[in-house]
Amino acid sequence: MMNEEIRMTNALRTPKTAWRSISALLLVSSFVLLHSSFSPAQQPAPIPAVKPATDGQVWGALIFAVNDASKLTGSAEKAPEHQKDLSQRLAKVFPYQHFEILGQHLQDVFREYESWVVPTRDLFLKVDSKGTAADGGLNLHLQVWRQQQVLVKTDAVLHARSPLFIGGPKWRDGQLIFVLESRPKK
Amino acid sequence: MKTPFEENHDLIRWLDGEMSPAECAAFEATLQNDPQLAAEAAEMQKLSLSLKEHLPAELPVPHADFFNSQIQVRIAQLELDDARAASQRSESAISRLMQWLRTPWFFGAAATALLVAGFAWLQIGAASGTTAILSSYTPNPTVHAETFHSSEAQATVLMLEGLEPIPSNQPITGFNVHRAEPDAEMASTTLFDASGSVLLVMAKDARGQPQILK
Amino acid sequence: MSAAAAATDPAEPLDVDLVKRSQAGDTRAFDVLVTRYRGRIYAMTYHLIQNETEAWDLAQEAFIKAWRALPNFKLDAAFYTWLYRIAHNVTYDWLRKKKIEGDGEFDDERTEHRAAPGSRTAPQGFDAPDRAMKRGELGQRIQDAIARLSPDHRQAIVLREIEGHSYEEIAQMMQCSLGTVMSRLFYARKKLQDMLQDTYENPV
Repeated sequence: MMNEEIRMTNALRTPKTAWRSISALLLVSSFVLLHSSFSPAQQPAPIPAVKPATDGQVWGALIFAVNDASKLTGSAEKAPEHQKDLSQRLAKVFPYQHFEILGQHLQDVFREYESWVVPTRDLFLKVDSKGTAADGGLNLHLQVWRQQQVLVKTDAVLHARSPLFIGGPKWRDGQLIFVLESRPKK
Repeated sequence: MKTPFEENHDLIRWLDGEMSPAECAAFEATLQNDPQLAAEAAEMQKLSLSLKEHLPAELPVPHADFFNSQIQVRIAQLELDDARAASQRSESAISRLMQWLRTPWFFGAAATALLVAGFAWLQIGAASGTTAILSSYTPNPTVHAETFHSSEAQATVLMLEGLEPIPSNQPITGFNVHRAEPDAEMASTTLFDASGSVLLVMAKDARGQPQILK
Repeated sequence: MSAAAAATDPAEPLDVDLVKRSQAGDTRAFDVLVTRYRGRIYAMTYHLIQNETEAWDLAQEAFIKAWRALPNFKLDAAFYTWLYRIAHNVTYDWLRKKKIEGDGEFDDERTEHRAAPGSRTAPQGFDAPDRAMKRGELGQRIQDAIARLSPDHRQAIVLREIEGHSYEEIAQMMQCSLGTVMSRLFYARKKLQDMLQDTYENPV
């Protein structure tokens, strides 16, 4: 009985050297774990920056059209070179005399993601690419958003040099017009 | 009390050339003997000349280009309405046709034909190099979308009628966005200006509604 | 009333060719016809109803109705003659409807005033065709005087003095007797003379 008790007692009483080994192991492990968690110099490995695939590019602008020149906002935005005759073209469709660019946005049309064309916070577009047509036209699903409300959803084929004029809401005795045009792929 | 005018139908018939030659000669003889009538005739001739001069047969139409383009919009809408009405009338005919389509060989042939026709239809707009609206849907029933092509403006137009105006006291500030970077993990897109500064971040809330951050 | 078969420029397409193309569904050909005749149709509707915005709408309506009726147009009359009749019907329907809606038989003595072009009370949204209309104050006074006539008297004067219709044609268009046509023309002229008397006595 005594020997068994001694054996049991001995079994219960871990020798000091064993405890030291285990403690050291625990200590090192903890150190490693803590180090890996809290080391300030080490960041998660960055995701490689790969530019998303695109199907084309669009230029969008929000235009303020009005008859009374005193109502213009004085926006400093200028039409890009390829749209120098934009006012004249808009005047052929909308019954106003003055046209002012409030904001403009040149946007890649991503193949796999939605694209946003946001010349202003108040009226903007969501653009989803549906691929390119055989002759280079862009098949798109467009949504015109006014803040949190979608005004229209439309499927369109956009061609370069053939802009889309979207007649928007009235504002300050005039009207907001969204212009969208496909830019030729470089 | 002012007496009503004594109507003289002969006078105006003579003035307007509605008399026969014999009647005309007789009336002109009367004029010669009646100075008061002659004076009245002269006044009416003067008036007639003034009216012709100051009421032109042709007037410049206000916003003439818009006048034309609106007619084109309405014509396009009429044709769309006619097409819808025609498709509704042919629905019963289609249901009978469907029985034929269900036969195996016909189903395959018809499906192929539809695919080819649909592709060709899409290509018609595409081949011409003109932007085309294929379909549109306005969630708000009070908003109506009309589309047409303006050959004068060389543009395709999507008119949204029935929109609530934006309050005049609400300012609208524009951006000039040069670049966008989507972040798939964050489901957001950061927009930058020409100098590379962040203008805003587009994200979506739990309902999928766009949120403009920053 | 003369109907132009084409513009004076021989290079421009004839009406008959444009009509045939329009009947085949060519909206661009119809657009040329609209451009060619919109000024005359607008003038006719404007003179009759003396309201720019309404006249603009009615002129539009006339062209839309013409487009719809094109399949039935047998080219047995000049296009403008045919179009003109459509515009007349559209305008008369509008006038009759206004009468039924309670405008009632006008008394020229009432100060029924419709905005003359260029006046500040002209309808919002359109600029007045002032460049064509401003032939001095006499022209303005004549316009004002015409506007103050009742619709029946105004129609008779416009149909006769501007559009040159015969009494027979006026009677058919206005659905009245020859005697009534003559009475209206006589009365309208006397009223205009009365309103413009000061103008003639004190020329501008």
